[in-house]
Amino acid sequence: MTATVEARDARLSFGETPALQGASICIQAGEILAVMGPSGSGKSTFLHCLAGILVPSSGEIYYAGQRIDTLGESARSALRRDRFGFVFQFGQLVPELSAEENIALPLLLSGVERGEAISRARGWFDRLDLDGTQRRRSGELSGGQAQRVALARGLVAQPEVLFADEPTGSLDSLTGEHVMELMVGAAKDLGTTVVLVTHEPRVAAYADREVIVRDGKVNQLASTAAPS
Amino acid sequence: MISLGLRLTLNGGRETLLRVLVTAAAVALGVGMLLITVAGLNAVNAQNARYGWLETGALPQLPAAQQTNRPDPLWWLLTVDVFDGHQIGRVDIAATGPTSTVPPGLSRFPAAGQYYASPALAALLTTAPASQLAARYPGHLAGVVGSAGLPSPDTLLVVVGHSAAQMKHLPGAQEVATIATTPPSDCSGPCISLGIDNSGLDLVFAIAAAALLFPILIFIGTASRLSSAQRDRRFAAMRLVGATPAQISVICAVESTLAAAAGVILGFGLFFAARPAVATVPFTGTRFFAGDLSLSILDILLVAIGVPLAATVAARIAIRRVQTSPLGVNRHVTPPSPRAWRLIPVFVGLAELAYFVHAGRPGSTPGQVAAYLPGLLVTMAGLVIAGPWLTMTGSRLLTRRARHPAALIAGRRLSDQPQASFRAISGLMLALFVTTVAIAIITSINAYNAGPALPTDARATVVDQFTSFVPPDHLATSVPSLPAALLTQLQSQRGVTGVSVVHALSKPPTGRQGLVPYAPRGVIACAQLARTPSIGRCPAGATAVVVQARAQGSDTLGATSRAWPASTISPARLAALPVQYVVVATNGSTQAIEQARTTLERAYPVLYSPETIAENASLSFTAQRAAEFRQLADVVILASLPIAGCSLAVSVIAGIGDRKRPFSLLRLTGAPLSLLRRVIAIESALPLLATAIIAIATGFLAAGLFLNSQLSESLRAPGTGYYVTVAAGLAVSLGIIGTTFPLLARMTGPETARNE
Repeated sequence: MTATVEARDARLSFGETPALQGASICIQAGEILAVMGPSGSGKSTFLHCLAGILVPSSGEIYYAGQRIDTLGESARSALRRDRFGFVFQFGQLVPELSAEENIALPLLLSGVERGEAISRARGWFDRLDLDGTQRRRSGELSGGQAQRVALARGLVAQPEVLFADEPTGSLDSLTGEHVMELMVGAAKDLGTTVVLVTHEPRVAAYADREVIVRDGKVNQLASTAAPS
Repeated sequence: MISLGLRLTLNGGRETLLRVLVTAAAVALGVGMLLITVAGLNAVNAQNARYGWLETGALPQLPAAQQTNRPDPLWWLLTVDVFDGHQIGRVDIAATGPTSTVPPGLSRFPAAGQYYASPALAALLTTAPASQLAARYPGHLAGVVGSAGLPSPDTLLVVVGHSAAQMKHLPGAQEVATIATTPPSDCSGPCISLGIDNSGLDLVFAIAAAALLFPILIFIGTASRLSSAQRDRRFAAMRLVGATPAQISVICAVESTLAAAAGVILGFGLFFAARPAVATVPFTGTRFFAGDLSLSILDILLVAIGVPLAATVAARIAIRRVQTSPLGVNRHVTPPSPRAWRLIPVFVGLAELAYFVHAGRPGSTPGQVAAYLPGLLVTMAGLVIAGPWLTMTGSRLLTRRARHPAALIAGRRLSDQPQASFRAISGLMLALFVTTVAIAIITSINAYNAGPALPTDARATVVDQFTSFVPPDHLATSVPSLPAALLTQLQSQRGVTGVSVVHALSKPPTGRQGLVPYAPRGVIACAQLARTPSIGRCPAGATAVVVQARAQGSDTLGATSRAWPASTISPARLAALPVQYVVVATNGSTQAIEQARTTLERAYPVLYSPETIAENASLSFTAQRAAEFRQLADVVILASLPIAGCSLAVSVIAGIGDRKRPFSLLRLTGAPLSLLRRVIAIESALPLLATAIIAIATGFLAAGLFLNSQLSESLRAPGTGYYVTVAAGLAVSLGIIGTTFPLLARMTGPETARNE
């Protein structure tokens, strides 16, 4: 398998506080990777570096063999828009837009015509058990529904890598598991690589592989299988 | 609880501090404007009071019996002179005894052969050649008129001393008991060109103040809502742990009072800093003395206490949602939409104005005020009421047609919150409406009064008028003939191209009381008229023609190219008629005009001052008042547009603050910053521009209806100055909105997503 995303000895500090101290990892195409670790360990910072949101002060980040930490902000933005998808813990939906418009947003940003973007967005409602919520705003959705809309938004443009930062952090365990099942299922269907940050072992168990970030360094763990 | 409120305000983080600072700035601006307006009203009154003594001729004459133990009477004559387009007030005066009242600003009564000039005129006398100005005044300059006798530092005024015996024979001179100390309630007669109509200006200032203060109040209201989501969360959290509504009120009041108190102090500082500059703005056509922009103790107390009180009440209203529920958290759901009934009031206002187009205007002035004012006020209120519906409808159209996500997000936000979106620009809408109505009416009335445009030679032709209407009903001239030497002198002056004499021919209709709308006629020899072609020409073969004053109700000659009807009057009879006008054609140079004017004034010092035909039109009371109102309208628009821009900017910042997290996460997912900039630009600029168009269109419509019913005149388009002013104001507002873009970049950076 070929490496889709790779970090080599990434280091980053926030002021005097070191966040990453030589983190390295190699993520294969189609792999679902769980990045675990206690609060403040640097796992979210690591994800942000892998996704080109943050630039490490030293070390290297590669995507599809191309070094991305040396790219400018606009090039990294274009990369995130065109190749990556994101799901965050909460508050990622644009409050003024309906659920279907939120899902269509990445397509609109890529220049897809509005009618087609909405049409493609609607295809996700049935798939993610969201039927009936197309016209609802974020304030009119439950937490689980909002996360599924966010998941659909993250996948609608068929990204090569989906970065998920605590995607179930604001949900109860049952709803969280439902969201994870849908995410893993959709990613497998699309062949999307997933980088999942979580501190919950039950969520991490959906990944093909788990790593632990501790003191700004990445420690490999054994491969896992999804719970039945 | 107060100390907790203080601690939360001062140590409540950057957002609280920002809210306090912006609110304080808004209050400071409001207080500064309010103080300037109040001081402006006081200054108008002070200026008017100092005009008072110049209206001495309008005083009712006291019966002789009541004049016991009073000062000796004095002889008085006020005329209005001109130099290089500027008016000069001239008071000819003579004491009849040692106790005659000394005019204000003078240390002693001017003796015969002495004159006193205002500082501005004294300066002019030293720079202008004597043959063009100083020679108009008999005797020598004995001193300057002090500020107690001057309405403005720029006032051009001369007080010329005579003996009582000399003045007794001057046409128009009157014996008065004393010098007036207050302006007459009715400004007519001798005060017409120098005084100001106090009550009229009060009303105009009040409307201007309202047009300015409304946007400021909106600004204060918008500022106090800054970071309201964060504040609401804090208050709701406190309510959850048991804080009572009263305790929340106290905490909230501490913050708003602190901001308002700081704003009041800053506002007073702003007022005193701006006072010298404001004094130079000629609101009444001339500058104020800086000291005239004063505040009474009552004014100071009302502002210093009233503003913080009003701010506290406003803040209490703003947190009412949190008071009723500890779960006062802002959830984003589709809100109820404004209904179309909101359009009704604006149509009612316009319909009321339209009614009088068909029914005709009421006969009396109070009736007209009662007819038009409610229509205009209802239209203004209607615009504010209709604003949210218009905002919502416009944004829905935008959303429906949106191809770009920026237009979609912005359009949806506008249609979600039409009230809040419109609130920030409602002040601008009213200011634009008031200004448009005012300028459209002024422009149309000016065009109505002006008639055809004056030709170039109207500025080069000086007319000295020797006749006037004298009540009850006759036309009088005190100049039976013109000495040949005077005509020769005028003709020989450099720049003079011709001199002609118009003789009085007609009398107004008899048997009617008072002034009548009548255009007096004169007769002129064709040989002379050929040398002053700007007042008309003779038909072929005529030796004399009958000429007529410019218009009904005017006794002044106007510029024309018409051929006057021939007269059969004999040269001998023509020469025997009294003189009505002397007309001097010049090459248009200041030297030629002022020298001719000075020569005529020396010969006939106390009649109407000679004026060019153009000056007579532009220096009329109506034209000057129209210019003042236009200036005030410009001040309103130039001040209110940037204030509206500030409100918009604050509301933009509040909008960014509300959506910090989704916006920053959008940026993380690759949305370019330009998308967010476009969202903000559309959200703010679209309602600003749409509102401007609607307000201007409604203003023109209302002005057109008013003009149609009041004057049976159609609306005339304002000059380019109006459009330039509106465009400049809008550009400044958009520029202010643009200043929020760097903040947008900072507020939605990756750190926000990490830390929120």
